[in-house]
Amino acid sequence: MRAYEKNKRLILGAVGIFIFLCIWYAATKLTSLGKVMPDPVTVFGGFFKAFIEPIGTKTMTMHILISLRRMLIPYVFGGFFGVLVGVLMGWYKVADAIFMPYIQMLRPIPPIAWIPLSIIWFGFDEGSKYFLIFLACFFTIALTTYNGVHSVDETLVRASKMLGANDRQLFLTIVLPTTVPYIFSGLQVALGSAWATIVAAEMIRSSEGVGWLIVRGQDVGNMTQIMIGIVAIALTGLLITTLMRVLESKLCAWTVRGK
Amino acid sequence: MKKKQGVRMDKYLFVSVLAVCVGIFVWWLVTDGLGLFRSNVLPSPVKVCQTFLKKWVETKPDGATLLQHLVASLKVALGGYLIGALVGIPLGIFMAWNDKIDMLVRPVFDLVRTIPGVAWTSVMVTLVGIGYMSKALVIFISAMVAMVINSYSGIKQTKTVHLWVGQTFGASNWDLLTKVAIPSALPMIFTGLDVALGSAWTTLVAAELLASTRGLGFMIQQARGIFRLDIVIVGMVVIAITGAILSSIIRKIGDKVVKGGRLR
Repeated sequence: MRAYEKNKRLILGAVGIFIFLCIWYAATKLTSLGKVMPDPVTVFGGFFKAFIEPIGTKTMTMHILISLRRMLIPYVFGGFFGVLVGVLMGWYKVADAIFMPYIQMLRPIPPIAWIPLSIIWFGFDEGSKYFLIFLACFFTIALTTYNGVHSVDETLVRASKMLGANDRQLFLTIVLPTTVPYIFSGLQVALGSAWATIVAAEMIRSSEGVGWLIVRGQDVGNMTQIMIGIVAIALTGLLITTLMRVLESKLCAWTVRGK
Repeated sequence: MKKKQGVRMDKYLFVSVLAVCVGIFVWWLVTDGLGLFRSNVLPSPVKVCQTFLKKWVETKPDGATLLQHLVASLKVALGGYLIGALVGIPLGIFMAWNDKIDMLVRPVFDLVRTIPGVAWTSVMVTLVGIGYMSKALVIFISAMVAMVINSYSGIKQTKTVHLWVGQTFGASNWDLLTKVAIPSALPMIFTGLDVALGSAWTTLVAAELLASTRGLGFMIQQARGIFRLDIVIVGMVVIAITGAILSSIIRKIGDKVVKGGRLR
């Protein structure tokens, strides 16, 4: 029965995507939209062709890899500092009192609004791009970690203290296992927003990357290139978030989120 | 965030206030105080405050006062957002309620939603040109995506037992939807409204950075070009505060409308 359900879901899903592509194709061929909008065959053809023939100076593989590197370096930093600050804030009330007002003040500023400042502070090179993506993931990870530490069951803490656990044991055996699922959910959300910020980051002068494809496409009015860039971003985004979910289910097998 | 924070002890409130004061003092010290940074790299807090006050009446250097920029931004953001919500909520509910439609549309939707809002800007600018329409469309898309996701999962989280009870008492499909599923999905729908507002506001800034002649994003972009960082910071602060105010309004409405289940 379940296998039947699954197959049905798969088939209907494929049909759905097929219908979507058909509508897209028909809309470009039959209406005046076709003058500005390339049809799906051109876009996907162009996308796959870009793996062999370079767009700009790089092939598609390179564009994707460069963007991934641009995203992953600050993401790792953001993850590290986010978890660190989140744990500190969750565990020490003083740290909470010191950092919280700053986080509350800075978090509502969208990462994209930092572009002008980051250009002036870090120049047009990689630095400003890293800065933007760092901002895009840091706050999310810090706050979810913070919530995770706060969700630790008080009874467990008190019980273990009564049985003579020291701070290190308390942290490693109780606080950490409770917090890890939260950290992972923060990492998951942050991965999505970091990847979404890549376009914004590559709006700052760049000469390669998937975001560059889009920005450059807009500059020269090349709609096909914009669409190719979008396809590349969507597919890569889907791939990395799926990978992250698989990783989580392997590493956090004991949690509900892990299942 | 827990409720506990509201009754945080005064000692910690004092530490918070102190931390902010120290932060501002250090900021002042490295700029005006010791002159380590010039105002085209990091303007002093005094300068930023002055600019903030002056910008309400002064149109220099970008051709409009702060209020005009703010109103221009709000018009675009709220226009796209409202239509996005009007389309997104029913679409999400419909997708969740009808299994066949769900299976058909879900994969397409999952693909579309991975496209960042900023990327849409390029598409729309190329399609409809620079103007109200292209920006509103971009915001419409990003708000709608958030709305669909949340109202979809809200409906999906309806307790099956509640539906069974409804069926036992002879409720029609329509009754089940309007009397059981939608009320229980309301908290999630309001979360969606909040999230969608956030992404609408973020996308707006992106759209204005790329293509605009007025608005807060345009203002900070222009100010960056002439190294007026005080205006950039004022712009960022106004963007942040406006976003926070709008989201707290949505939450207030949510608290009023949602009966029983509390938000967050």
